[in-house]
Amino acid sequence: MRLFKKAGNTLHILSFPGEEIEKGEYLLIRDEKAGKAMIAQVIDIEFANVPGIMEELLRSPDIKDSIQGEDSDPLDIMSHILYIQDARLLICKIHGTITNGELRQENSWLPSRTHSTICKLPTRSLIEMAGIEGGLPIKLGETHDSFPLAIDACQLDGKLNIITGKKGTGKSHLSKLLVLGLVDYGATVIILDLNGEYTNLGYDRDGSKNKYHNKIHVLSPGKTFKVTLYQTKLYVIMRTLTYALGLPGTSAREFRHIWRFLEKKRRLTLYELGQAIQSWKCNQHVKDALYSRYSALVNSGFFTDNMAEATDFEEMLCKTERKGGGVIVIDLSDMSPSDRQMVVEYVLAKLQEALSQWKIRAVFLFAEEAHLYLKETYWDDIVTRMRHFGLFTTFVTNQPNTIHENIYRQADNIFLLNFVNEHDLQTISRAARADAETVTSIVRDLPPHRCLLLGRIVKDFPIVVKIRPLNVKTMGQTRFFFTKEETKKEHTLDYVQFSL
Amino acid sequence: MVEISLESMHMVRGEIFQPDNIEFPELFIETRQFEGLVHIKNKSISTLLTPLRPIRDGTPIIGIDVSSIKVGTTEVGGVYAVRGAIVLNVSNRYRYLRFGPLPFHITKKSIRELFKDLCKNLPFDFSFFPHVEPQSQLCNLVERWLQAYVSHSARGNIILWDGSLTAGISGSPTAELSKILKIARENSNIVMAFSKDTTVRFLEWRITDLIAEHKPPCLFEVDSLPLSSPDFTRFLGRIYMEKLAEGGCTFRLDIDRAIPRENCITAVERLLGNELVYQGYPETLRLAHIYSTFTASDVIGIQRFLAKNYGLRFITQSNMHRTLFGPYGTRLGG
Repeated sequence: MRLFKKAGNTLHILSFPGEEIEKGEYLLIRDEKAGKAMIAQVIDIEFANVPGIMEELLRSPDIKDSIQGEDSDPLDIMSHILYIQDARLLICKIHGTITNGELRQENSWLPSRTHSTICKLPTRSLIEMAGIEGGLPIKLGETHDSFPLAIDACQLDGKLNIITGKKGTGKSHLSKLLVLGLVDYGATVIILDLNGEYTNLGYDRDGSKNKYHNKIHVLSPGKTFKVTLYQTKLYVIMRTLTYALGLPGTSAREFRHIWRFLEKKRRLTLYELGQAIQSWKCNQHVKDALYSRYSALVNSGFFTDNMAEATDFEEMLCKTERKGGGVIVIDLSDMSPSDRQMVVEYVLAKLQEALSQWKIRAVFLFAEEAHLYLKETYWDDIVTRMRHFGLFTTFVTNQPNTIHENIYRQADNIFLLNFVNEHDLQTISRAARADAETVTSIVRDLPPHRCLLLGRIVKDFPIVVKIRPLNVKTMGQTRFFFTKEETKKEHTLDYVQFSL
Repeated sequence: MVEISLESMHMVRGEIFQPDNIEFPELFIETRQFEGLVHIKNKSISTLLTPLRPIRDGTPIIGIDVSSIKVGTTEVGGVYAVRGAIVLNVSNRYRYLRFGPLPFHITKKSIRELFKDLCKNLPFDFSFFPHVEPQSQLCNLVERWLQAYVSHSARGNIILWDGSLTAGISGSPTAELSKILKIARENSNIVMAFSKDTTVRFLEWRITDLIAEHKPPCLFEVDSLPLSSPDFTRFLGRIYMEKLAEGGCTFRLDIDRAIPRENCITAVERLLGNELVYQGYPETLRLAHIYSTFTASDVIGIQRFLAKNYGLRFITQSNMHRTLFGPYGTRLGG
């Protein structure tokens, strides 16, 4: 490898056949005379602009070409010509300088073109130099050079994280890995599970219970997760009615009166609420509006008057923390959008309450496709205010544009899986923790289950990792009409016809 | 030839080497013969035109071309590379054989010896002409070697050369050229040479322009015209102007003079019937040219070979024009 050009924080390095380099790998440009070494990451690989290459390709026959021939090249000069023609240009981003064995974020110097030596920087060395692995490692998988990469769980603590990638690239798989990693260190994790994908976290692939089984609590709203109105504070129900059920302001005012009246009389039940609305003296339109929302509350099945079947969510949180952490999966699958919002409003309100009163220390919240159940007003609240209370969110989405730009900018860690759509790439490139060119260039070519890690977890050294498999029973897989056997049969038939 | 190449290159080991600028196309040399101007005296043109009818009889066509390039300069001489290509067309299926590239280190001291050695294994005697550029002489010699090889090994083929059958000029000694043609004839081959540019003139007009208006395919026999030429040259071929394709160009065509006139015309008709003729130029010869020519990446590859195998120490070439005249010292478009 030879240093060719530097423009800004971009280096162009010539690489030759035999020097196998992949996008995302790190190089060390060592200038012995200067006593320094530069660390650069390969973000793109192009063919070197060798003169005459077009003419060479045009005249060389390909396999299907009618012109076949042979070369009598007794001195084997052709191998040298091919070597030149296969030269590559590595586009690299500078990430720092090593001076006296110390890594610094400095790129103001220029290594020598003539006597600098360039070699691959093994991930192990980078990890050691940058101090990426901490005291609480969560094993994520392997890097290009088969280094088992682990991130420090502390770097997720108190942080805002985003996991994003197009469909089928392994976002949920990665979040499961992080969730279980956090649980290993006694963290309490709440998952807003849109597709019921996390409900089997407590089982191995073969269906047997795994070591996490007792730590996984699945709550299905309307079934295993019901609450009484007593447990629900007025502001929680008001937010639900206003945001989830679209109750107008005048009607909301009347509802508040009814609620306080029932509270005073100690008759705050679902049944009494219905009765009170019907007998309340107010405008008929307001009454109709209130009753329709009441019906929605009743029909959701989330509220109950039976104390025995009600879940004390707050107590559950406290118990989970006391028992050394665990996962509470809120299964939002098979729920209408308004019911979903209702449940999420309740959960978040309860979390905020428990955290603000120091009933629990901190909670890691994993929110899948949050735009489908989270009101816009909540986003900033979660990212800024609730973070100080100890709610550390990880947004998981395949639609990066549903997450606001300011959230990308505030994100501490971003886990990027493959995207090819230019619009999506542009959105994610706004992340403040890496330059846009690195993100778009590497992410575009990531194969499934390869993830680009950005942010504090990797000390701002973007690293590509192949996410390790997880022995957890999968759920929520897409249901298909055609079975594997049927498609196999079709293919065989095609092949037979073709061969005939 | 390989041994002579290696022998010549041994002298270059560890030398300082100034690679030639690969941007300048004039460094690439094909075999080219330098004839004096030939003039045709006045005569009616139309009587000399022969319309052609393609004959499809499956005659194989072979095209030969050789290119050379100056790769760089050493303290005592220059390093040149030569590559030859033979393209065979049988029933419109093309195959090629490329020979080389072979590098030669040529110095003033070694040049005569080198040519002597090269000719030792050939059935010819090519004398070295000190006034002619060694690169083109080297190129000519390798081309004659390939032509002799093909003439000897092919049977019943039409063999296409690049250039003319004019002897007595540098790189075309009369005796040697006649010998190659004789070998070809003995093997029932017919040698035809195509010139892309010609010096033949009729009333100071380029002869190629005179038949430009005539309907192709046709042949214009120049040979029957009284030609004036320098005394040292000998035309071993019957000279024609050919226009083989609609919208194509006109080329000078030399066909072995020892072959009867009728057979010459039939041979061109067989060529027409068995070969793709694009722009009036045979495809085998076009491919031979393409396969032998050096591209810029070839040159860099050869320079890498020299550096690796002979430890040449590269120094950059100073561009005096650029040094003196700045941006006005470069060629247009260069």
